[in-house]
Amino acid sequence: MYPKEVEKLLPRVQKPGRYVGGELNSTVKDRADVDVRFAFCFPDTYEIGMSHLGIKILYGAMNQVPYFWCERVFAPWTDMEQLMRENHIPLYALESGDPLTAFDFIGFTLQYELSYTNILNMLDLAGIPLRSEDRPELFNLVVAGGPCACNPEPLADFFDLFFLGDGEEVDLEVMELYRRCKRENKSKKEFLRLAAQIEGVYVPSLYQVEYHEDGTVKSYTPTDGAPATVKKRNMMDLDHTYYPESFPVPMIEVVFDRISVEVLRGCIRGCRFCQAGFLYRPFREKSIDAIDRQCRALCESTGYDEISLASLSTSDYGELFALIDRLHTWTEPDKVSISLPSLRVDNFSPELMERINSVRKTGLTFAPEAGSQRMRDVINKNVTEEELLRTVETAFAEGWNRIKLYFMIGLPTETMEDVLAILELGKKVVDTYYAKKDRPGGRAVEVSLSAAAFVPKPFTPFQWFGQDSGEMLQEKQHNLRGANHSRRISISYHGAETSFLEAVFARGDRKLCRVLEAAFRAGQHFDGWDDCFDFDKWMRAFADCRIDPDFYATRQRPFDEVFPWDHLDYGIRKEFLQRECEKAYRGETTPNCREECSNCGAACFKGGICVEKRAHLV
Amino acid sequence: MKNVRIWFEKKGSARFISHLDLTRCMTRALRLSRLPVWYTQGFNPRVYMAFAMPLSLGAYGEKECMDIRLTEEVPLEDVARRLGERLPEGLPVRGAAEPVYRLEDAAWADYELFLEAGDPAGLMDKLQALLAQETIPVMKHTKKGEREMDIRPYFQGMEIHREEDGVSGRVRLPCSTAGSVNPALLLDALGQYTGEEPLVQITRKGLLTQDFSEFR
Ligand code: SF4
Repeated sequence: MYPKEVEKLLPRVQKPGRYVGGELNSTVKDRADVDVRFAFCFPDTYEIGMSHLGIKILYGAMNQVPYFWCERVFAPWTDMEQLMRENHIPLYALESGDPLTAFDFIGFTLQYELSYTNILNMLDLAGIPLRSEDRPELFNLVVAGGPCACNPEPLADFFDLFFLGDGEEVDLEVMELYRRCKRENKSKKEFLRLAAQIEGVYVPSLYQVEYHEDGTVKSYTPTDGAPATVKKRNMMDLDHTYYPESFPVPMIEVVFDRISVEVLRGCIRGCRFCQAGFLYRPFREKSIDAIDRQCRALCESTGYDEISLASLSTSDYGELFALIDRLHTWTEPDKVSISLPSLRVDNFSPELMERINSVRKTGLTFAPEAGSQRMRDVINKNVTEEELLRTVETAFAEGWNRIKLYFMIGLPTETMEDVLAILELGKKVVDTYYAKKDRPGGRAVEVSLSAAAFVPKPFTPFQWFGQDSGEMLQEKQHNLRGANHSRRISISYHGAETSFLEAVFARGDRKLCRVLEAAFRAGQHFDGWDDCFDFDKWMRAFADCRIDPDFYATRQRPFDEVFPWDHLDYGIRKEFLQRECEKAYRGETTPNCREECSNCGAACFKGGICVEKRAHLV
Repeated sequence: MKNVRIWFEKKGSARFISHLDLTRCMTRALRLSRLPVWYTQGFNPRVYMAFAMPLSLGAYGEKECMDIRLTEEVPLEDVARRLGERLPEGLPVRGAAEPVYRLEDAAWADYELFLEAGDPAGLMDKLQALLAQETIPVMKHTKKGEREMDIRPYFQGMEIHREEDGVSGRVRLPCSTAGSVNPALLLDALGQYTGEEPLVQITRKGLLTQDFSEFR
């Protein structure tokens, strides 16, 4: 429920339904019955946050415990924020309407770097001091998890602790510890010292950082008994890992109005640009029984008529057809459709299309990621041109006539020729359509090529790579567009400026905390939204702090450099990443985990694909 | 096949969802209720639902209704209970009944307004002065753009009362597919002519037919 004072603001904002709560299945508890209150903050709009799977899992996991209460908080859009500030209404949680200052934990999920300013803005809007050191009490602890927690250093000064890896258990353990420390009247310092002993918990204030004169990291020194390296938490048995049976069902339309059931975690592929592909190793599958049970439970509690089988690469699920057939036994009579979040070029088939009825005949999307075979070998995207053309041929034969292809530009070793190969590939797709004899009467083919600027990320083989400069990226984009004379092909870009900023923060260190704060003070937030992003203001913030953003984004780093995330352990060994990087520069590919193990290090978690028998070895 | 009219309230958080969002909520709740609802035929079957006049965003609806069709006989109390159990708290079901009138027979609506004020007497004077004007032209936003409209004929008979913490009023306004008058127009006029922008609660008490009988 929202606070009463909000009532008079609601008629004056867009989409007031974002700010009122009261959804079916939202959890409201009696304040007197709970010991620990957790405000789960998503640093973006309600519609985006409510489409996110992680929040639903952790919300359910925490609320299952009678003495914990987890509530939801989203970033108010600029119109609402302005009214809240004018009327001195602090940021509040949707279930109780209580301000964030009433919570024991204020937890953020770190999904993308461009949401960092929103985090500071939300804390400020709640009246909570930004810096950890300015919050001396054991209360209002500011914590975070999510993929960007793999290098949380640009946020280190603001947060009390970070969760690394899978959160289902470690979040609860930290809350239990807090509950005990509260009862025993322990100080925040004592609590943090104890928390740092839990696997998957990183307390940045317990590490002293020294830098070389050139600004690179010299060393991280743990204090107060904190471990030298912090290992991520890994849930190995997904069948027995908590999964919610219900979640709050938004009353207003959100980005994904459907059920998501995670079918596997991790990825076998090893695409060298993809951070998630490394962070979530090893590849682990849920059983068909567990997925079926979870899908049924969620349909029973939400009323949705679409299930998305979620994961990084759902078509790699070992028994996909068997799974879908099992679900169909009840989804068909119940008029529930099944969808896959993404399709792979190399297993798109009429059989699969027949089984998933929700793919609309209008548009199909594939991600070859690079235009030339050489480039695809460099990034280890093991898709060939023939496979792609065969796939689109199938799609055309099945009645599709709009194809969208995703690419990246600015990849390591890329030449202008590689960039132009994107267009060549697009043309071949168009030709494939017209080579077909039985195409549906008179319809024209539409091929859209989307080219995003590549952002090098930690824990990938390209973590040493200096991102292309803005000028270089623009030149590449310019040439690509200039070379296109086909009306059947359209080309779109994803901003070079936002990618630059992402690159800075993805591989940044603690010196960036000041820049982030300066940018936020200058009014930057919702940087992921074109109408809010202001590159010049950002550059001024860097200049004011005397920090050179190119040091983080475009500088090629030597292999022996110590990184700000080297003391965080995701199982993947740095030597493996270096080996992969060297292979990339030689244009050599690496087989996927199902074909062969490449000894990345993730076998230390002792499960999943790393311990499975491979067919050809038996 | 049987037509059933569901009566419900739209209150609390649910006041802030649009009509389209309301239909989505109802669809999900009907699916959850497992009632034998009739689906529209065709390529994309959906749960059949029809509403009387949509309520504007933010207003409290005391007696809203929606028609559904059932393919099997279900006692009406069960229909109401099973659907009610599956709706969010802002959409409580008040009953289910056989429709008496056709949906398009709705012609009028009764509204109650409550305007919060620190100085109820002052607000009362201003409202009275406003309603005493010979004409009350306001700008009305329509699909075709802005249009000036005199709202006096609609509001002249409005009863207003001074309360402890504000002013309350009751008014009956046209509400049909042929044309409706939104009670919020009075507040636009109040802002425009007196500068007052009080916190307002609008309640739609119920619908009436052309001859002012209760819409059932
Ligand atoms: S250890 Fe081998 S099988 Fe396991 S994730 Fe790494 S490369 Fe794949």
